Amino acid sequence: MKILTCVKQIRDFETTLPWDEDARASLPGASAPNKVNPFDLFAVEECLRLKDTLPQTTVDVISVGPNRAVDALRKALGMGADRGIHISTTGEEEPSPFSVASWIASYARKTSYDLIVTGMMAEDDMHAQVGPLISEMLSRPCAIATIFLEPLLEKKRVYVEKEMEGGMRIAVELEFPAVVAVQIGVNKPRYPSLSNILRAKNQELETVDAGSLEQPEPRDVVLQVHPPRKSRSGSMLQGTGEQKAVELLNILHGKALL
Amino acid sequence: MVVVEHHEGKLRPVTKDLMACASILERHRSGRITAVIPGHNIVGLAHETARMYGVSVIGIEDPVLRNYNGENWKSALKAVFADLLPTYVCIGHTLEGMEFAPGLSVTLNAACVTGIEHVDGDPNRILFTRSIHCGKLLAEVVSCVETTVLTVQPGSFAGFVCEVNTPGAVELRSVSLPPSFSRTLGIKGSRDRNPALADADVIVAAGKGIGKRENMELVKRLAALFPASAVAGSRWVVDAGWMEHRRQVGLTGATVKPKLYIACGISGASQHVAGMRESDFVIAINKDPYAAIFKFADVAIVEDLTSFIPVLIEQYDRQREE
Repeated sequence: MKILTCVKQIRDFETTLPWDEDARASLPGASAPNKVNPFDLFAVEECLRLKDTLPQTTVDVISVGPNRAVDALRKALGMGADRGIHISTTGEEEPSPFSVASWIASYARKTSYDLIVTGMMAEDDMHAQVGPLISEMLSRPCAIATIFLEPLLEKKRVYVEKEMEGGMRIAVELEFPAVVAVQIGVNKPRYPSLSNILRAKNQELETVDAGSLEQPEPRDVVLQVHPPRKSRSGSMLQGTGEQKAVELLNILHGKALL
Repeated sequence: MVVVEHHEGKLRPVTKDLMACASILERHRSGRITAVIPGHNIVGLAHETARMYGVSVIGIEDPVLRNYNGENWKSALKAVFADLLPTYVCIGHTLEGMEFAPGLSVTLNAACVTGIEHVDGDPNRILFTRSIHCGKLLAEVVSCVETTVLTVQPGSFAGFVCEVNTPGAVELRSVSLPPSFSRTLGIKGSRDRNPALADADVIVAAGKGIGKRENMELVKRLAALFPASAVAGSRWVVDAGWMEHRRQVGLTGATVKPKLYIACGISGASQHVAGMRESDFVIAINKDPYAAIFKFADVAIVEDLTSFIPVLIEQYDRQREE
């Protein structure tokens, strides 16, 4: 099988806020730490699982973005992917999901991939669009929220189970070529192996300048970014841990919950 | 245009959010709301929708549409676009809607804005608000083209009350669907109503901030302070194997409405919040002061749960002795 997987390098804001209260401006500069979008690690792992178990299977990994996208590609290569492709953008402005999907789709059209695997969404922009957009642009079927995937090579199909609300699953078969967007928890991503890391460091990536590709017109624009609205009072307890504990107990007693 | 989501003969709750969103858009831009329901044997649902919301309804009827299938849904909806020429297409930000909405925007040359939580602005500039960065920030987005496909976060328009005078007109259509490259085989698993969670007055839930399996003890000890309590977990701890799936709270787990929900080390991703946002009283403990969970909490405690929970239990024991 020929598989293409898509990764994105995002800023790591797990324990910080990407918001400067004083400047009322978003997103500090390039100094923020980066990581591979967690959903994409699951996508890469799922492809490598297939490479491990199926004959003659290769995994290409593609990323759209500025220089930091190269880190995501090297990580995927370090995990065991075969080839990396960087669609290189300039500047800090994020390309729209529509642009990202069109560029990946136009690259994919040149190679006959059986499967294109993406993460369900990027934790930074949370659009969750690229996978479904690629499938529409290539006129191929797509499955999102995939929690189980098994190719049926003789039938040239892939069997997937997708999550549904409430904990049930819906089972679907998609004919190759197909696009699958995976959900977190579909597998356990492996650590890059030392030998793969070394290979990845020196491996030449295919680089495509996004500027040389068709530039779709923007369809929407972000006017403003600001801290969230609260749905509830969210009154923050103050003081030491002990003081907060005492206050919390008072609140609970007051509401006859304890 | 509103795409109604339904399952096993019932409208899904997100339909209400979609109607709320559509009626705000209708007020701003004066148009007409049409609800579209793809499915099989959906005449009853079509009339129910027309009655509940006073909108005209088009039911796209075909045996092939008995079970949800992304490709078939897209084809069915594309078939009515030519007649309806929608300016806005409102779809649920659900595990169905998220699959077919982006593809529709390609066909319509439309913008696609996902996960909308709020709609505002004026007729010339409608602002769609959506979460970014795991819910730590909100972005306000405007569309730059004539048509916009939106997916609406379930539960975002909970306060909506629909004033209906007369039920809308219902039309059933069959469309010729092109062959699809996918086949829905069926539904697996059962919607196991977990009585332990459903009947609990107090639920103490663990999230990624728990850190290690051993720390689950803390959550159990905290739950033990309360009568009629149960322990639950976010998707993260269930995937890690630290809690069984029956105790997962969230979009793909259980929806709970206890008197008290204590979220320990839970970041507050919308998929989790979807399962607990209607709890009577919510306390959140998280060492990240900007965690999205604090938006949905009545009481916010910025502390590391591994140190705070023992302190809380100690204080409780001390007070009991007095």
